[in-house]
Amino acid sequence: MFDPVDDVIERIARHLRRPVHIDPALDGRVMREITELPTPGGATALGKAWRWLRRPHQVTLTPLGGLAAAAGLALVVLLSRMDPTAPAASRAESRAFQFVLVAPRATHISLVGDFNDWDATRTPMHRTGSEALWTAVVPLEPGRYHYAFFVDGSRWLADPSAPLARDEDYGAPSSVLTVGGGGS
Amino acid sequence: MGIHSVGTSDAALVRRVQTGDTGAYAGLVARYRDRLGRYALHMLGNREDAEEVLQDAFVRAYRSLARCDDPERFGAWLYGILVNRCRTAGARAARRARRFVHDPTALETAPLAGPDGRTEWDDTVRWALARLPSESREAFLLKHVEELEYEDMARLTGAGISALKMRVKRAREQLQAMLKEAERV
Repeated sequence: MFDPVDDVIERIARHLRRPVHIDPALDGRVMREITELPTPGGATALGKAWRWLRRPHQVTLTPLGGLAAAAGLALVVLLSRMDPTAPAASRAESRAFQFVLVAPRATHISLVGDFNDWDATRTPMHRTGSEALWTAVVPLEPGRYHYAFFVDGSRWLADPSAPLARDEDYGAPSSVLTVGGGGS
Repeated sequence: MGIHSVGTSDAALVRRVQTGDTGAYAGLVARYRDRLGRYALHMLGNREDAEEVLQDAFVRAYRSLARCDDPERFGAWLYGILVNRCRTAGARAARRARRFVHDPTALETAPLAGPDGRTEWDDTVRWALARLPSESREAFLLKHVEELEYEDMARLTGAGISALKMRVKRAREQLQAMLKEAERV
């Protein structure tokens, strides 16, 4: 039998069941919060190493929403220490920033930005620690830098949890990182 | 070695997080973000509030991950946290709304925002959903949108199955009545 009540309710339910897309930047916000928290359930050597890596940091995360079928995150980690490979002249002011990308399905990732003339060959990221983690360390002097991730030779990925660059000179979205001159 | 794959189970990711691989939690967040976000959005009726509650639920779940007894059921466990956070946020929003109204008589007699001029089905549904009492809205969403069994709903909400069935029934009746009202305008 046709039941008009059920028909209306089913129409409503069907409408409400449609997929909802939440801003993938939420992933970054969650990860930024939890990196400051102790590991749930105890610690292992890997956990200790990972926490050591990130302890003194300010962290921003990026979900790899645009990466086909991949879930991922990026974080920019301030290491708060001098980069030993930096030229002597710039050591007094530059600090090392570690960019960490969690990219489960990527096969090659480069960090590109104002600091390397957007040259995808100059700062390749390397897998470390966790299976999905890619990292690159870049010494940066105080200033304002645009940057992005170049994934698998074809995808440009901005960091949605960082300020998005407005002047997209390069035709692709990028993020902005501001390095202060003080101790922060 | 290898990388995260889409097929990695919840349990495997939970265990990795518990052993210090914080990055593995990203896989769980990405997996549940949209689905839980849908519930929060419909429950709270506001995207900003929904995202705030969702973020809070993920962080609270991480903090309590050691207490997730059955990692295979991480999703259901996380759902329970979200349902509670939505209740708290809903109550807070209601209190906030009351604080802006200082005239109880005006509050009682003021017409509710109706479907006037709203021709879109989406607006009408959201309007009707928002007018349901929160307990009825919660029960309706869990049953008809998230398609949970009453046993699961009881575990998530702490309410009895009979009470939940009654809430769903009332929600259906109220929605039906409101939709009729909307059609007349």
